[in-house]
Amino acid sequence: MGIIEKIKTNKSIDNQTEIQKICLNKLQSSPLPNPKSEQWRLSNKSKLSTLLDYSVNEKDLKLDITYPKNSQSTIRLVIGDNCQINLVEENYSINQLSEDKLVKYIKEQISCFDQNENWSDLLNLSLNSTKNTLGFKVSGSEIPPIEIFSHASSNSLNAKTLIIFLEKNCDIDLLQVNLGKDNSSLSQSTFLCLEENSSVNHGVVSYGENKSNLLNSLNVIQQKNSEYNLGSLHFKFNYARFEIRIKQSEGNARTNIKSMQITKKDEQISTYTKIEFNGPNGFLDQINKSLADDKSHAIFEGSIIVPKVAQRTDASQLSRNLLLSNFAQIDTKPQLEIIADDVKCKHGATISQLNEEELFYMRTRGITLTEASKLQLSSYFQEIISFIPVSKDRWDLLDKLLNEN
Amino acid sequence: MQSKMKESDPILEVENLSASTDNLPILKGVSLTVYPGEIHAIMGRNGCGKSTLSKIIAGHPSYNITNGDIKFLGENINSLEPEERSQSGIFLGFQYPIEIPGVSNLEFLRVSTNARRKFLNKEELDTFDFEELVKEKLEIVKMDHAFLSRSVNQGFSGGEKKRNEILQMALLEPKIAILDETDSGLDIDALRIVASGIKKISNAETGIILITHYQRLLDEIEPNYVHVMSDGQIIKTGESDLALELEKKGYEWTDNFIKET
Amino acid sequence: MVNENLVKDVVKEPYKYGFVTDIETEKIDKGLNEDIIKLISQKKEEPKFLLDFRLKAFKKWQKMKEPDWAGLGYKKIDYQDIIYYSAPKQKEKISSLDEVDPKLLETFDKLGIPLTEQKKLTNVAVDAVFDSVSIATTFREELAEHGVIFCSISEAVKDHADLIEKYLGTVVPASDNYFAALNSAVFSDGSFVYIPKGVTCPMDLSSYFRINSGDSGQFERTLIIAEESSSVSYLEGCTAPMFDTNTLHAAVVELIALDDASIKYSTVQNWYAGDEEGIGGIFNFVTKRGKCLGKRSKISWSQVETGSAITWKYPSCLLLGEESVGEFYSVALTNNLQQADTGTKMIHIGPKTKSTIVSKGISAGNSKNSYRGLVKIGTKATGSRNYSQCDSMLIGDQASANTFPYIKSQQPNSEIEHEASTCRISEDQLFYLQSRGIEFEEAVSMMVSGFCRDVFNQLPMEFAAEADKLLALKLEGSVG
Repeated sequence: MGIIEKIKTNKSIDNQTEIQKICLNKLQSSPLPNPKSEQWRLSNKSKLSTLLDYSVNEKDLKLDITYPKNSQSTIRLVIGDNCQINLVEENYSINQLSEDKLVKYIKEQISCFDQNENWSDLLNLSLNSTKNTLGFKVSGSEIPPIEIFSHASSNSLNAKTLIIFLEKNCDIDLLQVNLGKDNSSLSQSTFLCLEENSSVNHGVVSYGENKSNLLNSLNVIQQKNSEYNLGSLHFKFNYARFEIRIKQSEGNARTNIKSMQITKKDEQISTYTKIEFNGPNGFLDQINKSLADDKSHAIFEGSIIVPKVAQRTDASQLSRNLLLSNFAQIDTKPQLEIIADDVKCKHGATISQLNEEELFYMRTRGITLTEASKLQLSSYFQEIISFIPVSKDRWDLLDKLLNEN
Repeated sequence: MQSKMKESDPILEVENLSASTDNLPILKGVSLTVYPGEIHAIMGRNGCGKSTLSKIIAGHPSYNITNGDIKFLGENINSLEPEERSQSGIFLGFQYPIEIPGVSNLEFLRVSTNARRKFLNKEELDTFDFEELVKEKLEIVKMDHAFLSRSVNQGFSGGEKKRNEILQMALLEPKIAILDETDSGLDIDALRIVASGIKKISNAETGIILITHYQRLLDEIEPNYVHVMSDGQIIKTGESDLALELEKKGYEWTDNFIKET
Repeated sequence: MVNENLVKDVVKEPYKYGFVTDIETEKIDKGLNEDIIKLISQKKEEPKFLLDFRLKAFKKWQKMKEPDWAGLGYKKIDYQDIIYYSAPKQKEKISSLDEVDPKLLETFDKLGIPLTEQKKLTNVAVDAVFDSVSIATTFREELAEHGVIFCSISEAVKDHADLIEKYLGTVVPASDNYFAALNSAVFSDGSFVYIPKGVTCPMDLSSYFRINSGDSGQFERTLIIAEESSSVSYLEGCTAPMFDTNTLHAAVVELIALDDASIKYSTVQNWYAGDEEGIGGIFNFVTKRGKCLGKRSKISWSQVETGSAITWKYPSCLLLGEESVGEFYSVALTNNLQQADTGTKMIHIGPKTKSTIVSKGISAGNSKNSYRGLVKIGTKATGSRNYSQCDSMLIGDQASANTFPYIKSQQPNSEIEHEASTCRISEDQLFYLQSRGIEFEEAVSMMVSGFCRDVFNQLPMEFAAEADKLLALKLEGSVG
């Protein structure tokens, strides 16, 4: 059954909403992304079709994965779990976005979607129902950290959508956790809008079980003087794709990204980023790390676009990759497109294995090869993990990475 | 305070000079006259306009002269290009010498020296003759020949950069040298080398303006005059003991002068 | 702000090779079909294997689509509106240079490439190609004494058919890409070099390509074979007259290096770039590739690209032999409405292979300058290394500089390092040089050539000086 028919026969979709109609309409002409397009060329076709193979009818709505206990100070929300939020406190408020506002915002976004570039979002929005959409706006100060969960149930393809508006002068720490069950596919689309002078420390941690799949798309718009910090980690997916699109709508904003993907067995995990500067004085510091072991495949493609209006942009991008097995492969493709002349842009990429000199040095001090490798890996991971906000300690991420798989 | 040198014509006359950058006034009526053989020191807090004054004399394009004149050997030079000023004998020693990747120091020095020689109607030097000349001048700043094959200022330490500036001064033999914080970032040995270099190069025909925060360079090279700048103006002028007094009492002491005037 | 107008003035030197030689030429009809290909082959008295090679390539080309992925904007080429063979009329057999039309000799004289016995360059052997045919090759006898074969590829087809049949199309197969297929079908002339075992070629070899006719395309083909332990340095220069139409240049260059052999291939490309409004100019769509077949073999590309309306060129190395080495050093300067999309592919196949990429792009005016590269380390290429450095310099705020380095590794025991940066001529640097008495234009060209230093150092001596001058000329009037 083709994906279009599946969406149409989706029983969990009550009535087709306006957004679904628009997106379905866009998908109708070419239901799948063009495998020759830059964004999908390296994507494993059979894995992608497995991802789409699962039933789109939701069976098990409850999140039954054990996760660390909530700490009292943190607001925890699970998308799809009849999730509503309306909090008005002394210093801050977090309010559900009205249906009208959500629809208006998403329609604006869709209007500039590209069939290939935004295919993941088109799929998400055409699959999704009101129930699996969480949209809220945040204002005020001293806002407690927010944790948001998305998950897919076994043997199904579920779509979750998150929209957050951050009003002027407000700072938040936000942790998004995407969990994959065995034999499941999750489509997660996130839209963040940072108004002037706001700041977000955003963590995205995605981890699955056997044969879980993920399409994770993140769209961020930064107004001037905003600061967006992203720390992300993707691991244990049969197939996962993380798309990051950030637009500094008027420049004059700061963006820091530290992302990492770890692949083992025959997994394929890719990260695509596109950072656009639509005004002067923008700042970007980006690092992506990959580690590929066994027969796996890790991909990074990052583009930085600096048009004429973006004078005095300062952007740097680094792609660091560890290739640990003879059968694994790594693709990395940094891209710079620059028209402004008064800019500082640089990028770099390295692919190597663990540093042999360092390993040797540690071994001459009596540390076993395994231990020495772990030490090296933990310092490699730590740079990214330490950038993920909100209760990262409770998650034992480093331990998960070093020991679990 | 009249010096006997003043019987000859002045080298540099700055007359009531006001200047701005991005419509922000930086200099607000500076006057300064330098006669052959004189050493002037200009002191003042950061941001008082002393570096700006030096850049404007050298013709930096970022600044607009809004009022007043700069005369060099009696001629108004307000509208001359920086290279024309250099060729005619004005030298600016940079506070932060610029790094120019890929351009060899030797080639840079040669082109620069020949530009000045051409102006003086002297014969231009080919690579071999120039190497001879440089060797001689390297002695003055105690620099190694290896410096010449590196890119201009690239990867030079702070002290090496400053010595490279003095080497250029030695090669260009300017009529007037304005040395902008040439002493900053130098250890005591490097300071002595630089100071003795400056003394060797200057003579009764040349004028020198030292821009500095500190007394220590002035211990090595005694100025005839010391000017104190504040907020784009020279607020006090004295002889070398003014610098000592300033060192002792700090710049707060000079704030009183402003109140007085 | 650096005064943009002055910068612009520095780039505006008129093209000085824009003259047309008035000479009677033999041209075949416009258009492309099997009969035309047969006609070209017949005119060149080619053996059957070559005609078959051409016809097969043509069949493949017909099935291919013109690439558009490079993101270059240009008017569609009408392949039926091109003349595929154009040659100055000459006597059937020319036994010595004295019999070459003096007008042709004069043309090459004007281009600074004298061919006659009295005037010829003393340390470089030259093969001069005029439109579709090779006019003359100097120093042939001297080279022959060392066993070095240096002649036009048409002659090689006749005299060294075995070598041609063995190697032609083995590095760049006819089906490689659209323009390589077209070239394989219609190539008219080009140079052939064979360096026998153990020979170090006693002088630099050089081809000079001149497009004269406005409506014919140029499709030359170069093949260089370096046998075991031999070495050669080869230089290539190009110019064309100014026409307001676009002329297509689709060349193929194949290099083969066997055990311990080394080939150094240098290009100074100065085809006519079109005028300030982007009218006219050469479309330079070239496939250049070298195969390091032997152990410890080495192929080094260096290029200075200043001309052409559009350049689409990725000199590449296939590193098959153990410990073989590939190098790419490039300076690409674009001005006005020029577009350059250039870079390299380093394909590491054998173990312990090494590659180095240094690319310097300078974009001025409204031009577009892209570096596009691929470094691929295959599963067997254990112990391989790559280092890449791509720097862009932007002059003015209308020019664009893009970098698309693509890196793929399947071998953990290998190291890849890539660095890229963007800069401009800073006001501070200009002022510093000016304050030392250096004239504005000289200061700019000093900085530009400083920016390109790493690449110029790789060029043969005479070429390096020429490249420096060429860059200065091109930039005249563009910086301010």
